[in-house]
Amino acid sequence: MDFAWTESEQAYRAELVSLLEQQLPPDWWDAYAYDGPAGPELMVHARRFNAELAQRNLVVRHWPRAYGGQEASAWSQIILSEEMWSNGEPRSSLYLGANWAGPAIMKFGTEAQKQRYLRPIADGKLLWCQGFSEPEAGTDLANMKTRAEPDADGYVINGSKVWTSYASRADIMFLLARVGGSGKGGVSCFILPVNSPGMEVRPIPAIHSPHDFNEVFFTDVRVPADALLGEPGKGWDIVTTILHYERIGAARYEFSRRTLDRVVAHLKQRGLFDDPTVQAELATALAATEAARLLTYVVIDGRAKERPPGPDTYVARYAMVQADHAVANIASTYLSDLLTEQGDGMLRSHFTSAITAGIAAGAAEVQLNMISGRYLGLPRGA
Amino acid sequence: MDLELTSDQRAIHDAIVQMVSNHMDVPRSGATLKPVEYCYADQLDRDLAEGEFFSLALTEGCGALEAALLVYETGRSPLVLETAGAAFIGPLLTGRDLPRPVAVARLEDLTRAVRFLDRARTLIVDLGDDVAVLSTDGLAVEPIHSMFAYPLGRLMTLPDFTAAERLGAAAVPRLRRLWRVGLALETAAALQAAVDFTTAYVKDRLVFGRPVGSYQAVQHRLSADIQRVRAVYWLALKAAWSGGDQDAALAALYAQQAITPINYDTHQFNGALGMTLEHTLHFWTFRLRLLQGEMGGARTQAAATVAATWAGA
Ligand SMILES: Cc1cc2nc3c(=O)[nH]c(=O)nc-3n(C[C@H](O)[C@H](O)[C@H](O)COP(=O)(O)OP(=O)(O)OC[C@H]3O[C@@H](n4cnc5c(N)ncnc54)[C@H](O)[C@@H]3O)c2cc1C
Repeated sequence: MDFAWTESEQAYRAELVSLLEQQLPPDWWDAYAYDGPAGPELMVHARRFNAELAQRNLVVRHWPRAYGGQEASAWSQIILSEEMWSNGEPRSSLYLGANWAGPAIMKFGTEAQKQRYLRPIADGKLLWCQGFSEPEAGTDLANMKTRAEPDADGYVINGSKVWTSYASRADIMFLLARVGGSGKGGVSCFILPVNSPGMEVRPIPAIHSPHDFNEVFFTDVRVPADALLGEPGKGWDIVTTILHYERIGAARYEFSRRTLDRVVAHLKQRGLFDDPTVQAELATALAATEAARLLTYVVIDGRAKERPPGPDTYVARYAMVQADHAVANIASTYLSDLLTEQGDGMLRSHFTSAITAGIAAGAAEVQLNMISGRYLGLPRGA
Repeated sequence: MDLELTSDQRAIHDAIVQMVSNHMDVPRSGATLKPVEYCYADQLDRDLAEGEFFSLALTEGCGALEAALLVYETGRSPLVLETAGAAFIGPLLTGRDLPRPVAVARLEDLTRAVRFLDRARTLIVDLGDDVAVLSTDGLAVEPIHSMFAYPLGRLMTLPDFTAAERLGAAAVPRLRRLWRVGLALETAAALQAAVDFTTAYVKDRLVFGRPVGSYQAVQHRLSADIQRVRAVYWLALKAAWSGGDQDAALAALYAQQAITPINYDTHQFNGALGMTLEHTLHFWTFRLRLLQGEMGGARTQAAATVAATWAGA
């Protein structure tokens, strides 16, 4: 057992840190990242930034060489995420491609699909969005209604998606649509350009961001047969794999950890830092971020050893949600004025991301359901 | 980073687990109706000593992590055994094996109640500005009886510390660091055991024709609890590995804070049976109650965490 980073992992991190220093403008938090990774300024910047990352082979180091990677271990992916997420995720939704869409294509795609999508991810060219949730299918995802009817040339898609982050500025969507039966059985995965004729994206302003959520409508959207990933009606296996990678993908604990340093700096300035009650809250929040970090590392260790994903994912995700909230609560208790538009962009960005952590990528309560069934082996309820 | 035990560590771990598994049975007090405060694992102590497991911290090729495994695995038994002082804190602090059991205490607690003091052969004292290591021979120790499932004792009169071995001021932070890790390991073990015990119970116990553990209100609390338990475990092992002040303080803080919800939940879900002495739950949960306040409790660990993290910033 060894908790140390290897020299090559340290060098990789150093490379990322220096790139971030070069590429992020001085007003990064206040002019680009204050609104999270779906903010318009950040998404525009991401295209330049991702090209720089790709030029240095930094996007998917953990992938096989055949798809633009360097066969690095799964640890490099979490190092990348720690550096990126804690800097407001300057890749924007490229990370969806690198974290889970790419791996799903690698595992379930045809050779042609791999060629078409994996290189562009490695080259930092595609900003993704995820068309999973629907008004009646959030937690109960298998209840989704959007349909893909087979026709002579491929499929015709009708229906709608909701809460689709990034959709108004993304290039490509990983979509769930139903081919055939109801329930998990009919779920199928498609990959299609966001500007496909018949697709309409309408932003939904939200308290955490005016730019994150979208509604996406599909009216007779025609896609070729090879837009389907895997077999028709057999996408649920793909979905469960994706959810593991999605839930433990973004290194939220690192953003919380670094935000805590910023919170401390502000508290010191305001003369609040020496208060023992405040210190107890800070220490408790720090313990939560470090707990989430280690529980995440347990998951990554499994990936590095190519073990199939297991219930540690839910344990780590739940811990991350707790850590995010612990830090966000301190910020809103003592520094609420800095969460305003005139405030501190980093604190604001962290806060708005943290308060959604227990809902996005599956509600915290769903993680608890999964822990009780899969980790503790408790019997199902009535 | 590699979070799996090496093959040597695995072999040590498995050998410890095997030995501990032979000593999991508590004499049933229910049969005699005679309350059992605690059961000291004397035979396990002898078995481990014979295998030189108490010396792991100082054995070539081994160290703090291997000793930590011993503390953790022995702590999961309902039988109590002093390992944190004898196998972890003592050897890593002094560089030698000390006569065991080893009691560790702050000066101000010596005349109140100290874990293991009535059996201890060595006493390590945090004097605030120095650390004293002394034999308990000749000390006036009064055993203390309690519900806390540990052997406890207190000193009737304070010894002459000037005559004791003194490790110097620099040993104070070292002692506190090691003590915090030991405390976190002991806590992790008892928390895990209490949650495991409760998980098994709620799978079997039926209410309204359904297992207690099929109710979501129960499931969610136990699931949040196991997240806390696993966090304590990893924080404690990381702290044992790194030997850093911050890691030690964080592990002890998270551990002591996890005790309140887990003690509450595990007792709730065992119902009245959990209050009886024939049910083993209390052997862990009441130990936890004492661990919760050790070294001044979470308040002290929080202050240490802040000092180790943001003092100079
Ligand atoms: C910031 C953010 C970004 C998102 N981005 C995307 C995206 O890009 N693409 C996408 O497809 N979706 C996205 N989502 C949607 C997200 O996946 C859903 O919100 C989530 O799955 C929960 O679904 P819901 O909102 O419909 O809540 P519901 O399913 O209506 O559930 C409401 C609440 O009920 C409780 N609950 C539900 N089921 C259970 C249960 N079985 N046991 C116990 N409690 C339960 C939970 O507390 C839950 O939060 C995003 C959400 C957020 C907040």
